[in-house]
Amino acid sequence: MSESKELFQKGLRDGVAIGVSYIPAAMAISIAASKQNFPFGIWELMSALLYTTSGQAAILNLLSNGTTVIFIYILTFSIMTFRHVLFSLSLSQKLDSNVGIFSRMLFAPFNSDEIYSIVMQQPGKIKSSYLLGISIFPYLGQMLGISAGFLFTQSLPESLKSAMGITLYAVFLALVVPPMRKSMHVVAAVVLAGAISWILECIPAVKSGLPAGSPMIICTLLTCALGAIFMPVNSEDEKLEEEIEKNNI
Amino acid sequence: MDSKFLLILSFVLFGISYLMRMIPLVFCKGKIKNKFLNSFLYYIPFAVMTSIIIPEVFSSTSSLASAISGVVVAVVLGLLGQNMLVIALASTAVVFVIENFILHLFN
Repeated sequence: MSESKELFQKGLRDGVAIGVSYIPAAMAISIAASKQNFPFGIWELMSALLYTTSGQAAILNLLSNGTTVIFIYILTFSIMTFRHVLFSLSLSQKLDSNVGIFSRMLFAPFNSDEIYSIVMQQPGKIKSSYLLGISIFPYLGQMLGISAGFLFTQSLPESLKSAMGITLYAVFLALVVPPMRKSMHVVAAVVLAGAISWILECIPAVKSGLPAGSPMIICTLLTCALGAIFMPVNSEDEKLEEEIEKNNI
Repeated sequence: MDSKFLLILSFVLFGISYLMRMIPLVFCKGKIKNKFLNSFLYYIPFAVMTSIIIPEVFSSTSSLASAISGVVVAVVLGLLGQNMLVIALASTAVVFVIENFILHLFN
């Protein structure tokens, strides 16, 4: 089966860039975890299981607020992961009909934002050997960043640790800001979410009356609901815009 | 931190995250047509990341001034279309320089 071997190798190659791009963000959350005295073994296990930088950052945020109600973690994490339902849904139509249930179940946890975008850009239907290939390097990159970030922080001087407090936030800014150049809707959503988050922080009743972590949930639900009501996104339009931009470059 | 709590948390969240990704991939063939739901999902990553950033970023370093400088650098480089690695390194470097060299001039 030389065709499936070729597809596997193409998948591997496409995954390398994603894998490298995961390292800094993974290191950044690991540095944050290390600063919070997260036990190293459990952090490795959690990272290997969850494999989500933004989700783990939210968990660290809740832990640092002292949240002990597991329901809050589940709710926050579910809201953050919910977009993967959509990714999986649209990806399921892109897969070749002979990609079996076993391959789909195996690939499911590796379906990250970036892998999803690359897979969707491939011409034609997707075969399981390609999915297997593209899953490998991103996961290795993530785990390399997680391990290196944690071990490396413990041997750093205080002055550098303090400066690295901002690294994780810079990574998130790097995810949020570039799309703002392309869509005024995104600009509005980010400004709105920032304003709501800040206002919630300033209301003493929210801070003392509600479980820690609820401001994040309130902020997300409110922003997305307002965005969806007042700035509905037409998925066809978005795709068209992307096409136009690609052709310009 | 309570190790047992963290272990339970890891496995429970893994279950949720796995089912959310696996069920649509294995069982669903239809496309989401609802415009409200599609738009809502589209905004989730931006809303979540922004609510993580604000206002915590301003207390993430040793001083407000260095944190603001780090944010400004990250936002400007982001608007210039720089990649994540450049943004993360530059922002961290600016905070380090400001905390260790510039702020000392005023103290």
